[in-house]
Amino acid sequence: MDSLAAVDWAAYEQQALSAISGDALEDARVKYLGRKSELAQALRGVRDKESGMLLNGVKARLEAAVTAREHQLELAARRAAADSGVDVTIPGTPVTRGRLHLLTQIRREIEDIFLGMGYEVWDGPEVVTVWENFDALNTDQGHPSRSKLDTFYLDDDTLLRTQTSPDQIKAMLTRTPPIYMVSPGRVYRRDTPDATHSPTFQQVECLAVDRGITLADLRGTVQQYFRQLFGPDRDVRMRTSFFPFTEPSVEFDVTCFLCDGRGCAVCKHSGWIEMGGAGWVDPDVFRTVGLDPDDWQGFAFGFGIERIAMLRHGLPDLRAFWENDVRILGQF
Amino acid sequence: MKVPVSWLREYVELTLPVEELARRLVFTSCEVDRIVRRGVVDVDGNYGHFVVGKVVEAAKHPNADKLQLTKVDVGDGEPRSIVCGAWNFGAGATVAVVTPGAVMPGDFRIEQRKLRGEVSDGMILSERELELGTDHGGIMLLADELAAGTPLADVLPLGDDILEIETLYNRPDLTSIYGIAREVAALTGATLEPVPGADPARDGDEAFSLAIDDLDACPRFIARVFRDVAVGDSPAWLKGRLMGAGMRPISNVVDITNYVMLALGSPLHAYDGDTLRGGIVVRRAGPKEQLVTLDGTARELDPADLVIADHERPIGLAGVMGGENTEVSATTTSVVLETANFEPLTVIRSGERHRMRSEAQTRWEKGVDPEAAALAATYASQLLVEIAGARWTGETELRAEPAPPTRIAYRPQYANATVGLEISEDEQRERLARLGFHITDDWEVTVPTWRARDVRRDIDVVEEVGRFRLEDVPATLPRRQAMYGRLTHEQRLRRLVADVLVGAGMYEAYTYSLQHDDPDPNALELPEPLSSQQRVLRTTLATGLLGAAQHNLDMGNGDVALFEIAHVYLPPGPVPDEHWRVGGIVQGDYFRARGLVEAVFAALNVEPTFTRADLARELAVAATVQSGWVATYAPGVGPEGEWSAFELDLAELFALVPERVTYRDVITYPPVRQDLAFVVDEAVPAGDLIAAAREAAGEELREARFLSDYRGDQIPAGKKSVAFSVAFQSAERTLSDDDAARLRAAIVSELQSRFGAELRG
Repeated sequence: MDSLAAVDWAAYEQQALSAISGDALEDARVKYLGRKSELAQALRGVRDKESGMLLNGVKARLEAAVTAREHQLELAARRAAADSGVDVTIPGTPVTRGRLHLLTQIRREIEDIFLGMGYEVWDGPEVVTVWENFDALNTDQGHPSRSKLDTFYLDDDTLLRTQTSPDQIKAMLTRTPPIYMVSPGRVYRRDTPDATHSPTFQQVECLAVDRGITLADLRGTVQQYFRQLFGPDRDVRMRTSFFPFTEPSVEFDVTCFLCDGRGCAVCKHSGWIEMGGAGWVDPDVFRTVGLDPDDWQGFAFGFGIERIAMLRHGLPDLRAFWENDVRILGQF
Repeated sequence: MKVPVSWLREYVELTLPVEELARRLVFTSCEVDRIVRRGVVDVDGNYGHFVVGKVVEAAKHPNADKLQLTKVDVGDGEPRSIVCGAWNFGAGATVAVVTPGAVMPGDFRIEQRKLRGEVSDGMILSERELELGTDHGGIMLLADELAAGTPLADVLPLGDDILEIETLYNRPDLTSIYGIAREVAALTGATLEPVPGADPARDGDEAFSLAIDDLDACPRFIARVFRDVAVGDSPAWLKGRLMGAGMRPISNVVDITNYVMLALGSPLHAYDGDTLRGGIVVRRAGPKEQLVTLDGTARELDPADLVIADHERPIGLAGVMGGENTEVSATTTSVVLETANFEPLTVIRSGERHRMRSEAQTRWEKGVDPEAAALAATYASQLLVEIAGARWTGETELRAEPAPPTRIAYRPQYANATVGLEISEDEQRERLARLGFHITDDWEVTVPTWRARDVRRDIDVVEEVGRFRLEDVPATLPRRQAMYGRLTHEQRLRRLVADVLVGAGMYEAYTYSLQHDDPDPNALELPEPLSSQQRVLRTTLATGLLGAAQHNLDMGNGDVALFEIAHVYLPPGPVPDEHWRVGGIVQGDYFRARGLVEAVFAALNVEPTFTRADLARELAVAATVQSGWVATYAPGVGPEGEWSAFELDLAELFALVPERVTYRDVITYPPVRQDLAFVVDEAVPAGDLIAAAREAAGEELREARFLSDYRGDQIPAGKKSVAFSVAFQSAERTLSDDDAARLRAAIVSELQSRFGAELRG
């Protein structure tokens, strides 16, 4: 048939698809698929198999396109009916939600860093013996921390721990090294409360006991820890110090995370922030807990959680941690 | 301790700038809090404005009664006209003058100006203006042999850098200028000058009676006697040094004792020899003995106090402070000088008992070099003779057998293994030698007396060499053979409980372990609390949480819901049983608190059982639940309004947590749901009815949920209606109407017989 040959069916299909994807779907269907359409007329006149396959293929594809388009338009219509012009800037339905205390958030962060480095978390008792808090930690009788002016005693042999190191003693007494542990928790000192002192505060101490531990391992570990806590560019330095249970003893500073070491009010323009004390475990401490210092060496370090919280979040007064004002608790 | 750098230079050459010295000392030796400039600043030729002047004329200012008008020759030609407020000098006096253009301490600039119509072309200086003393009563008079125009800096310590350092507990040797000089010498390699002081010639042979009752507490005592002492003002250099070191000049004799203490670290005391009744006895205080110490306080001594006494009465609290009764005064001519050794503990305990703190005491408490007593006696004697014109007429010394020097077998490799850094044998040897250690060829190390308390073992020697290299220590990590890190089961559950409560809208609180009071009369109390607000170790978290709730209410915060996870301390002591608890407080009724408890139980897969209980007078509604309680506070107990609380013992609670939860198949057959309402006596708890219903219907009662309890119309007085919904369901088949009727009848019958419950139509 002449007309069949006259039509470019590829172009016909393109035009039809274009029309179908428009808004006037029914018009397009009538025009391109209806009984009077060129396609229907051509199909009626088909005589050979090849033409039939061609035209039926076009017809099937166009019919599928119409069906898909119908579905699409129906969905759009239903959605339009459902959206009654909602103001999306209006707040959502309230869900009550509380907060972990800032000190808990930081304690968990610290615990998680150490867990990642392969340390256990110990949280032992706060009322301990004088032996656990002082004697076993090599503290001589004249050391000022033993004074009743500095420490809360329950009786001559019992006190509120002044450091979480008694946990280290307990760990070394009950476990066979290697030991890698941190002990976060409350400690107690007879300090009159003010903006930077509290008779109760949270301390974290870290202890590693293994073979061949050096001060270099201490520096590396402290550095890893502070880089996790304060960012990858932090550096750590060690200065000489004294603690009864470590020898040599050091203080460690970390480059100021507020000014990147350039100097600011927080680091007193030194570029460094004092973070805590540390050292190589004194061989006498090992002897006290029944470990041979020729076989085992270790390092220990400790720092306060409140100090980190205050520095990092700019809290000016330590007492806020204990007042539990939800306007402050809710900020973090 | 305040260290005037000019003083330090007297004992060791300083090759580093002061700032760099301070920076390095911080790593190796001690804290340096800051560097302070004392006196006149030596910049831009400022020192050139400070000169010696000769007063040529001095007369009353024509227009002011309180001022003098002077002419002063400062060696630069025509005498200058200077107006001065002091009257302690006249023509001929040699004075310190500052000329216009100078900057005074405190950043105050001297200008030529008119005072009451007369030009003042400079200022005549007092001690206080130069920070060389505290005396502002008159201007400073200088030695007459000084020529006009002599630079004042050649005559007086005009200005100085002061290092403010904090010494460590184990470094009493750094509480002296000479000790710090030794440290600097070890740090920089500079040469250390010999210890200052040389005994003057003895001028007399006086016997002095001395006895020590307790050689353990006082192992050494040196008493030196001086005659013809002229008590007076100290020379300017001495005052300047003391002021720089933070001590107030008092009189030459007292200043010398303080100066030598600062120089050598061994405290000294001077007694007025004429006030001593007999000689000196070092002994324990007698019962009820009294002493008025130099601070003017009358003290009743304790028999444990070590005192310095004469033959009749105490004259000093050993190592802490002298007594007023033998104080050196302006009229003193005879001085007994004490240098000694006191053991730290005796001094510490006396200081604690009497709540005292002195420069001497802080040194004795840390432990003073026992050999320094003789050095201090020598140096002070020299100065007493030179400055106070004294004659040294007698000496008595008593001493216990001194401890033999400490010798340590050392291996230089030990330092490397400890520090993690190669420190050469040569470096170790030189460092130790500079610090005063003696080292044999085969590394036997002898410890100097001033370090004997601290350095006792080979590891202590390691610190002595290691501390100078701390900046160089590399950063490594332990080479581990085994590695794991995890929270314990209990630690994980504790985090879960906190997270559930936060998710349920609660804020976490931190309250004090020490509370003002506790409901348990046996709760442990501190014998010496810091305040009455913190005196009892809590046995419950409720007290602190009530306080926190009150604080929030006071602050105007609404809808308060707080929880805490912390220890309680259960008696009996002395070491209490410590338990982790979770406690909560909410604004609202019993059911709000109970809902939170139910959320915790649900998270832990534990079914809670609540039982009404009479727990405490303070609680209006209270129930026990496994491991704890939940309750509403009686009106007037807590903050204003309705408050409810709960507390659970976490160890007990976690013991109920199933070790593992096993899978239960999901039932696909549909449930039959019904609502049931029963009329029962008021006293019958709804929970009991539901529990009984479960028992009666068995496994096929899949769910029983409380709906309401109702009193009022249609319900007889003393009765209530309890409604709950039930779901019957079988894992094997779809239940028929007959099945449902059977189960319902079983429930009705059981509740009827057990509680007299009537099913409502």
